[in-house]
Amino acid sequence: MSLIIDLVLAAGLVVLAWQTLISRDLFRGLVMFVVFGLTLAMSWARLGSADLAMAEAAIGTGVTGAMLMLAYWRLRRNVPAAAEEREPGRPLLAATVGVLSALVVAAIGLASLEVLGPGGMAGHALYEALPETGVGNPITGVLIIFRNLDTLLEVAVLLAAFVGARAAIGEDSAALPLPPAQDAPLVGALVSVLVPLGLLVALYLFKAGSQDPGGAFQAGAMLAALAVVLTLAGRVRQTPQTGLWTGFALIVGTVVFTVIGVGMMALGAPLLAIPGMWAVYLIEAAMMISIGITLALLFAGSAGLGLRGRR
Amino acid sequence: MLAEALAGLVFLPLLVACALLVMPRRTRLPLVLLGILPLPLLMFPVTTAVLADGLQIIAVAGFERPLGIEWRVDALSLVLKWLNAVIAVLVGLYALADYHPGSGKGRRFWILWLLLISALNALFLSSDLFNLFVTLELMTLAAIGLLVIDGKPAALRAGMRYLILALLGSMLYLMGVALIYAAAGTLDLYQAGGLLADDALPIVALMLMTVGLLIKSAIFPLHAWLPAAHGNAPGPVSAVLSAVVVKASIYMIWRLWLWFAGDWSMDWALTVLGLLGAGAILYGSILACLQDRLKMMVAYSTVAQLGYLMLLFPLFGVLGFAGASYHLLAHGLAKAAMFIAAANILKGLGTDRMDRLDGTDRKLPIDTFTFAIAGISILGLPPSGGFVAKWLLLQQAWGQAGWGWVAVLLIGGLLAAIYLFRPLSRLCARPLAAPEQALKSPGKAFSLLGLLLALLALGMGFAPAPVMDLLLGGPPPGMAP
Repeated sequence: MSLIIDLVLAAGLVVLAWQTLISRDLFRGLVMFVVFGLTLAMSWARLGSADLAMAEAAIGTGVTGAMLMLAYWRLRRNVPAAAEEREPGRPLLAATVGVLSALVVAAIGLASLEVLGPGGMAGHALYEALPETGVGNPITGVLIIFRNLDTLLEVAVLLAAFVGARAAIGEDSAALPLPPAQDAPLVGALVSVLVPLGLLVALYLFKAGSQDPGGAFQAGAMLAALAVVLTLAGRVRQTPQTGLWTGFALIVGTVVFTVIGVGMMALGAPLLAIPGMWAVYLIEAAMMISIGITLALLFAGSAGLGLRGRR
Repeated sequence: MLAEALAGLVFLPLLVACALLVMPRRTRLPLVLLGILPLPLLMFPVTTAVLADGLQIIAVAGFERPLGIEWRVDALSLVLKWLNAVIAVLVGLYALADYHPGSGKGRRFWILWLLLISALNALFLSSDLFNLFVTLELMTLAAIGLLVIDGKPAALRAGMRYLILALLGSMLYLMGVALIYAAAGTLDLYQAGGLLADDALPIVALMLMTVGLLIKSAIFPLHAWLPAAHGNAPGPVSAVLSAVVVKASIYMIWRLWLWFAGDWSMDWALTVLGLLGAGAILYGSILACLQDRLKMMVAYSTVAQLGYLMLLFPLFGVLGFAGASYHLLAHGLAKAAMFIAAANILKGLGTDRMDRLDGTDRKLPIDTFTFAIAGISILGLPPSGGFVAKWLLLQQAWGQAGWGWVAVLLIGGLLAAIYLFRPLSRLCARPLAAPEQALKSPGKAFSLLGLLLALLALGMGFAPAPVMDLLLGGPPPGMAP
């Protein structure tokens, strides 16, 4: 039975990827991409990587899918005709890229036959060292304690993405257009159910992250998803400036992580040593806020977000 | 002291970048100075440690490989970190002319600039394949943000192309890293290198990583994105892109081939990499000769000069290593100076078309002088850093009777003379083209910063001993002294 599920997932991935690539209609391609992402998330779950499955569903598919859809709407708004149907394309270029990609995949596939099961030194070292830390989820252990330099720089990448997006937009106060808010009667009901529920899920993911699958990235993506819902429903609006609170929210992840990590050196600990579980929770909470607000602002395409009606 | 200094080099710019986002207008200029000026000072404890005891290893977060990430400083890292620190300060101060951190655009510029410097400092330390990937991503994203900061359509187009190709390169590199981890069970570059031999899987992984990094380094024939990006970026951004950013991925290729896979027997691949370098030198130089815009010529010159860095693979030996590393440093300084001079000329004349440059030396003497001095080093005329570097490469090629490589080195120098003489003859040797047009001088202090960089490149020819001793003392493993 499980074999059948796996085969269906594997075949589905290939078919959906193909559909994403060949669909002439851009919108259809986007939908296929989102479905592909969800199938990929299920595949990760089947492989036992709940954390990866959640990250793929929340960030790789959810927030990215929403951004792609919004970009499609903006594209169609600017060039109505161009977005309807793709350019005829360059078959020679496409064929070359296809053949090269196939060669790369074949080389990787053939070479991978040499690898016999997981013999990872680093993996063994991780499971030996994990119990001492008090963290139960090995992924959180790697992200926050053992290889936290990677994570810290990743949060800085988000900051670079936000400022880079602002740089590309150019003007200080400019914001990308948003579709007009839908005032259908059901939207209000949907928002009033989804938002508290989503908030609860985000907090649970954050709290669970230290022992079970979850953590700052998934929780932050959940918060961003709520911001997407609120933005599209017209409950929050774009603001022309990055307010002080928004600014603090953008940097709190990087700053808290760095200050704790470098501050520990004053006490004689190594650089980026994490002093205890309180620090793990503090860093994860700060990162969750920064990740959430950055993704929300990237989606909205504005310098800041504010509540509707307030100035 | 060493750990504190290294932490400062990476995290001081990072924290200042964050602070810029929330601090009031008036405080931002002092903050920016706080973020860049201490960087060279922080290099001193690192330098003394390496000079005294050689290779320095720090386990970040206190976890040694394979569990944690290690930072390593050796001669090559030290040289590149110095280059990064000098460029961060001198080109940074130059950037204050156009990007005052008090304005909205200036603030964005400085946040991205500081993130870029921080990423580069972390990159030149890291000995972990995945951590290198993260630093490379941060570097690339910050660099693209800087490239499009003025919102010019040509820069936006170039930025988009750079972004797509850089992401392709990152993806190939990451696939290679995943394969290495599957095979070796560790992400540490040196540890994995010691565990793996030249079997099918590690070779495929190495190839994927190399192609990815070659795209990011714009090595011929994967250079297509570079001239548009470096030629259309704002002056200080072109300078840092050509001086340091493209070098970062070449540095990683060196680490992969000379350290990670240093004991694999893959001579044919080393020759192929060298041939790519030779292709870059010839192709980039010829196209540099054909450009009709000054900044595009300088950008194509970068394509050519990067080729010399790939000649290290066939010219494998201590002299080759010292020469290529010295070239890295000298080219970084000279090219930053040249881009600053070109930016000032562009700003002063309102155009950088070659046929409008006539007689610029009357109006912009310092910038013309800077351009000429930097040209001497790029060209490899004595006495300059570029000369020392190319002389060492030539000696290595001569010593191993690689006559083809000798020819490439000589023809490259000749072509460089041609493409540099074209603008210089117009800048200096002709009467002022249009005396009626108003020249805007960019400000003497900002021109002098470019001159200082050019003089540093020149000075490297007079006093190569300290850097050279360092490099000769720390060649890659297996390299006969």
